[in-house]
Amino acid sequence: MEETKSNSGQSLGIAALITAIITFVIAVIPCIGLIAIIPGIIAIVLASVGLSQATRSESPRGVLVAGLIIGIVASLISISQYLVAGKFADKWPNNIEKIVNDVQENVIKELEDANVSIKVENGDEKVEIIIDDNKKDKEQTLEELEEGSSSENDTLIKPE
Amino acid sequence: MTPLSNRNNQNAKPQVSFKQEPYLMANAVFAGVIFLIILYTAIFSPEKNNYPVACIHEKITGEPCSSCGLSHSLSLILRGRIDEAYSWNENGMAVFIFFVSQLIFRIFFSRIYIRYPGLHKQLIITDIIGSFIIFLLAFMPFIVSILKWI
Repeated sequence: MEETKSNSGQSLGIAALITAIITFVIAVIPCIGLIAIIPGIIAIVLASVGLSQATRSESPRGVLVAGLIIGIVASLISISQYLVAGKFADKWPNNIEKIVNDVQENVIKELEDANVSIKVENGDEKVEIIIDDNKKDKEQTLEELEEGSSSENDTLIKPE
Repeated sequence: MTPLSNRNNQNAKPQVSFKQEPYLMANAVFAGVIFLIILYTAIFSPEKNNYPVACIHEKITGEPCSSCGLSHSLSLILRGRIDEAYSWNENGMAVFIFFVSQLIFRIFFSRIYIRYPGLHKQLIITDIIGSFIIFLLAFMPFIVSILKWI
């Protein structure tokens, strides 16, 4: 009686091997090595599923084992780069604090230098205040105006 | 006297199915991937600097890595501007040669695989060893830099 070899898991094996080899190439490129963990995990999962199928049906497992080993090695290389990034992580809090402070200073400076215009309309009357580079003078003028023309309506009534 | 069916078999070209030959299928996929990499370097221009992949390592650590400027370098090599390519990344040429050689290997080895069915095992072993040596030669500076970090 002729014995037929089952090819169960072979397609998964090829997919795992191809993914693992591509992962390996990505993993050794420092710029993108960190993202190699994703295809690495995919390769390991594919190879593991294929291996379980092949074991049940007693079909050849060479390609699957190769895919699994290369996938694991590639993932380890990628993980090692995470560890490298982790070493730099100690410096992160200081850097982030510095960046936030810089951004805050820039925003405040931008606001100080900004040209601001305020328009107030009351029926036919229209008042426009433009604050530009010499805004200090304008601020003073605004304060003087407020002092001179303040009325009961402008005062804030506190709730009892 | 040789039976007629045997004589016909001797004259007929070996029929190879991609589905039944994992090696051929893998070669086809790798050739496709390498073609896409070359297409990537051809589409994105070093003048416009419109590369979608940024260096993750540099973003995290703030320091440039040994593969920074590789996309620029590969694009410039493809456009024949070798000197400029070296200024972007010294390893660009080695990586480019690796990808081109692999593209040629996939086609060459697939043809031999189909033509000589008796040499399958030796062919695959030669391919694995040869490709791995070229890979090590091309990517050694990157591997060394990773080992240095660790």
